[in-house]
Amino acid sequence: MSKEWEKVLWKRQDHPDNYIAPGSFLSSLRRNANFRPYTYWPLVCLSCAITQHLATIFIFVSVFVQLKEDYLDPHILVWISVGCFLTGYLCWELLDRTGAGHEHRHANRVKAVKSSILIFLALMSLSPVLRTLTAATSSDSIWALSATLFGVNALLADYSAMSFGGQVNERLTSVLSLNAAISASVVLASRLANDLAVFALILFSVQAFALFPRLRRRLGSCPSAIQLTFTVFLSGVSVMVTMSLSRAVTWIYTAVQLGVTFLAPAVLVWAQKFKNEIRGPWDVAVPKVN
Amino acid sequence: MHPISIAMITDFFHPNVGGVENHVYMLSANLIRKGHKVIVITHSHQPDRVGVRWLVPSLKVYYIPFVPIASSATLPQFMTFLPYLRTILIREHIHLIHAHASLSALGHEGILHSHLLGVRTVFTDHSLFGFDDAASILTNKLMAGNLKNVDAVICVSHTGRENTVLRGELFERYDDDPDVVSVRRSVYVIPNALVPEQFQPSPPEPSEIITIVFLSRFAYRKGIDLLVAAVPRICAEFPNVRFLVGGDGPKLIELLQMREKYLLQDRIELLGSVRHADVRSVLIQGTIYMNTSLTESFGIAILEAACAGLYVVSTRVGGVPEILPKDMISFANPDEDDVCRAGREAIKIVSEGRHDPILAHERIKTFYDWDQVAERTEAVYDAVLKSPQMELWERMQRTMQLGLFAGPIYTIILVVECLFFLFLEWWMPREDMDFVQEHWNQDRFAELARKASKKVE
Repeated sequence: MSKEWEKVLWKRQDHPDNYIAPGSFLSSLRRNANFRPYTYWPLVCLSCAITQHLATIFIFVSVFVQLKEDYLDPHILVWISVGCFLTGYLCWELLDRTGAGHEHRHANRVKAVKSSILIFLALMSLSPVLRTLTAATSSDSIWALSATLFGVNALLADYSAMSFGGQVNERLTSVLSLNAAISASVVLASRLANDLAVFALILFSVQAFALFPRLRRRLGSCPSAIQLTFTVFLSGVSVMVTMSLSRAVTWIYTAVQLGVTFLAPAVLVWAQKFKNEIRGPWDVAVPKVN
Repeated sequence: MHPISIAMITDFFHPNVGGVENHVYMLSANLIRKGHKVIVITHSHQPDRVGVRWLVPSLKVYYIPFVPIASSATLPQFMTFLPYLRTILIREHIHLIHAHASLSALGHEGILHSHLLGVRTVFTDHSLFGFDDAASILTNKLMAGNLKNVDAVICVSHTGRENTVLRGELFERYDDDPDVVSVRRSVYVIPNALVPEQFQPSPPEPSEIITIVFLSRFAYRKGIDLLVAAVPRICAEFPNVRFLVGGDGPKLIELLQMREKYLLQDRIELLGSVRHADVRSVLIQGTIYMNTSLTESFGIAILEAACAGLYVVSTRVGGVPEILPKDMISFANPDEDDVCRAGREAIKIVSEGRHDPILAHERIKTFYDWDQVAERTEAVYDAVLKSPQMELWERMQRTMQLGLFAGPIYTIILVVECLFFLFLEWWMPREDMDFVQEHWNQDRFAELARKASKKVE
């Protein structure tokens, strides 16, 4: 064993093949090289998007129950939807001011008006069909189906924030999520008694599940104070409307909300100490191309 | 070492072609030359490669009727291989099995079952894996479970050994120092080799033109992005450089676009896919070999090129830095600028005549040799056969160390497998089996061949 061991294969060395030179083994191993630990409060802020989404789902479900039990007049719901749409659109325009050019925005506005009229008319003409869509199915199946679909919607929704003027790149999962929510509202709407109620509910669902998430993603890049206020407002509304229907559900729902907002980030921060990311020369290198 | 009977078990074997396939064949052939008896057990191939076949030189191959699921690997199913394996190992009087490749389910099953027959186990790992994607996590756990009870592990490079030790959790406490967890002592490094005679250099006539050869599958892992970025820059800088590119794959279109965009049709020749038998004829047309792989456990293609007398430019990844001395290869980091820099360096060295192809070939001849590989592998076999075999109870205890979930699961598999084995012992008793009495006899074959040819005359 006179000669020094070298980490090469081409030279026949004096050491046996299972020799491991002290100090050299795994010398290029790096642990947690690109690791940036999360801190608690930024995580709480990020989880606001999930809280808002859950609140939307619960508001929607309570609105449905109120419609079904005739506590709520469908006319009022239609006006609320239109009001929400206008407010939301105003917010969008305000946020968008800094973004794309004037020409572009004008074209967008025309497009938005056109498609909203189209949706309005299509829903109106479709609502008699939708009302009787699942007449042959028992209500139990509908509750189970819509619960599953809302679950899928919440799991697959896109909670990331979007910067102003950024490109809208829809991922497949967020499209699936939107589809799940709309299907859930269609099957729920088919339980309602009259055409106007069906129309009002579907219109509301389009606001809540198609338009609101986009606005929410834009809001995600606003200062956290605005976000927090908005989250508290939405959660408050959802708790209030749920409270009027069932106390037990409200308690469970509030617990879930608090868990998602405060407990889950804490668990993530705690779990970070188990992180052990291993990098070494065997990893596939990332090519750097100018 | 006195002759023993060895069974190579792998999913990857002839008629498929590739690095592992070639390694298993060459190793077997050289072990046969040393007087051992070697058989290969692999899965069948469509349409009719099933049953027992013989390959030159007297290598018996068992093609088990299993259907591969993806890229020639079979499904890991833990039990179904046992009836076949038991019969083959008993019939052939096998002493030791040697499993190859970590994605070969057949090999893993062989390691799992062999202890039932008192057969010793060796495993060779040929590739590098990461730790951070779902496929790696699953296969790594599978491998860790199987390697708990293997007698020896061979890796093809030092980097490969570090990787395998981490993936397979090959750490152990030894009696002489029970407080320290150290790497298992039965992990060896034995490199691949090549047949230098197949890559005889024949340097092109000295001329102004410098030809750079690139031979690889056009896939992301082979660093085609780097190639596409670096080639136009090198071409612009050196008007006397031309490229010879062989291969095929999903990234072909990017190469074609690059060639079109920079109007390099007369400087970059695309050959399409090159058969392994034609590799030398392509290599000897050039003076520099370029490799831009992003991961490589050994890099046999680089070695072949160097052996054919080419100067090598390569990315510094995986086991590549270990295979050649520094004066035969220029290294680059995997980024565009550095690949160009290394290319420039290589062109300078070659155009100044500082690289002698014939000398390079002669040097490689002394570095790598299958006979030497077979000898070193024999030493591993010898050490394994001399070491005491683990009892079932010890195996179960070691398997339980795998973890809270994986441990019990693997232990259950181990126990069920033993019960299945007992059932097979009852159902297909050894006494009723046909044993292989005679192996290939070269003299007898020659005699019969002579007789047959006489008859024809």
